[in-house]
Amino acid sequence: MTRYLLRRAPSALIVLWLASVLIFLVIRAIPGDAASVLAGADASPEVVAGIRADLGLDRPVVEQYLHWVGGLLTGDLGRSYLIGGDIASLVADGLGNTVALTLAALVFAVVVALVLGPLWASTRRAWVDRVLTGFHTASVALPTFVTGVLLIIVFGVLLRVLPTGGVPPDGLFARLDFTLQYLALPALCLGLPVAGVLTGFLAETLRSELRQDYVTTVRAAGVRPREVVVRHALRGALPVAVTTLGLQTGALLGGAVLVESIFAWPGLGLLVEQGITRRDYPVVQVLLILSVAVFVLVQLLTDVVHAYLDPRIRLGGTS
Amino acid sequence: MTAIAEPVEPVEVAIARPRAFRRGKGLVGLVLVALVAAAGLIGPLLVSWDPYEQIAGANLLGPSAAHPLGTDDLNRDVLARLLSGIRVDLLISFTAVPVGALLGCAIGALATFNNALDVAVQRLFDVLLAFPQLILAIGLAAVIGPGTSSVMIVVIAVEVPIFGRLLRAAVLKVREAPYVTAAEVIGGGRRHVLWTHVLPNSLEPVLVQLALSMSVAVFIEGAMSVLGIGVSPPEPSLGAVLTTSLHYLDLNPLFAVGPLAVTAVLVLGFQLVAQAANAARA
Repeated sequence: MTRYLLRRAPSALIVLWLASVLIFLVIRAIPGDAASVLAGADASPEVVAGIRADLGLDRPVVEQYLHWVGGLLTGDLGRSYLIGGDIASLVADGLGNTVALTLAALVFAVVVALVLGPLWASTRRAWVDRVLTGFHTASVALPTFVTGVLLIIVFGVLLRVLPTGGVPPDGLFARLDFTLQYLALPALCLGLPVAGVLTGFLAETLRSELRQDYVTTVRAAGVRPREVVVRHALRGALPVAVTTLGLQTGALLGGAVLVESIFAWPGLGLLVEQGITRRDYPVVQVLLILSVAVFVLVQLLTDVVHAYLDPRIRLGGTS
Repeated sequence: MTAIAEPVEPVEVAIARPRAFRRGKGLVGLVLVALVAAAGLIGPLLVSWDPYEQIAGANLLGPSAAHPLGTDDLNRDVLARLLSGIRVDLLISFTAVPVGALLGCAIGALATFNNALDVAVQRLFDVLLAFPQLILAIGLAAVIGPGTSSVMIVVIAVEVPIFGRLLRAAVLKVREAPYVTAAEVIGGGRRHVLWTHVLPNSLEPVLVQLALSMSVAVFIEGAMSVLGIGVSPPEPSLGAVLTTSLHYLDLNPLFAVGPLAVTAVLVLGFQLVAQAANAARA
């Protein structure tokens, strides 16, 4: 296991390093450097020079880059000029809300897929198949902002049963019933496409598992149909499901930005949006590399879990 | 394959089958896309209002005979803006996606010629694919600013590594086919074999991805508008019209219905076309 991890980690680290260089250089490429943007159009040259020195923009590019990466690794994320404050504390403020939202969406997606996937793979009723095909196509195709606005219109404006934005006044976790009410719509919106993709892949893999010889053997031994699917075929389909889920992390990260914007959810996505609209580049820069880091690490983790679940890969060398 | 490589689907060698689009999903998908395209191309000619015209005294009106979808916060006819907005999305889908696909395919195919080049290109793709699509959009928009051209650049940047990977995998697979070996054995030059035998047979997954990517382009346009980094006002687009309506959902949820419906139909249409094309390959 450790050996497998050691073999995969270097390429993930290289990608992460290249991404950090890219982000750093691209942000530097903004016409009229960050200091003059931060200072505003009618700032005096002295003020601009002051900010430039403060940001370290007067030093060589390589030194700036090393300073930035060194800060990232030691938890010093730099300062935000326009939003104000330490970037580390801004990130800490939003992190909890974003993690809660993402986890809720993930749980929703996994539960839906574990229920609908096996059902879809094993159903013999045409109407069930048709309904699930429709659900799959719609949930995969419809953009997050379309379902989000639909959810707000139906549950928030017409039925008026659920809050459509923000978190409870005294924090997300103060009261459990509030937590669930406020999480419901954003988590549903964020989780739906993931649920659709996962259900589709799970059903497809289960169908091919169900055609394997070992399933025939188990069936012949008299195991009940439901047991065959849940106990045996599902286990064979799990590695694919895990990989699919890992690849969906990107959609979740991007989707979270959208969902937070639509539902006014005070998390990291809203912070990114603020950073862009106010052109607070140090904040944008940090959040970009953070999301790439999460994405790359989750993929690495996915590979490792996949290998753990499927010994053919763990022991088979290259893949 | 590296840690973040997407699983590559097995490539079936066969000829595209137009039959898939004469019934079922494929037909429905084509009809949906055609409906939206027709609305975008002909619609603006049938509506008497100009999408940029600010009509005196018509602030946030509800639906009426004169303004079927009402008017927005700047006194403009929503239907006129919606129909013109479709054009922007079609422009992005049908130019940026093919450009990204061509670029990606060219890079992917060239890279298979040379090992060192291949390694470099694959690393570049790895890095680009390490950015979740919308995060890449945010990063690029932060640098080049909002606007229709930014949306197009983002779409191209998202699509190049996807098509590059796809074509490379297909080419590597097709190159192993016996008929390619045969063509080489009878003295076909490398370039000749690539153009006449390998590439034509590697294009099927590319066609499927084209339809998928067009729905992604509509998504990216809308998402960037919602985040305030899409087409610049006052230009209308599906995302821009939807974003305006978001501020007035409490006042009149009907404002959102037009852009929601058109976006949903267009995206579903592309998706169904992709599904049908994919099913036809198998």
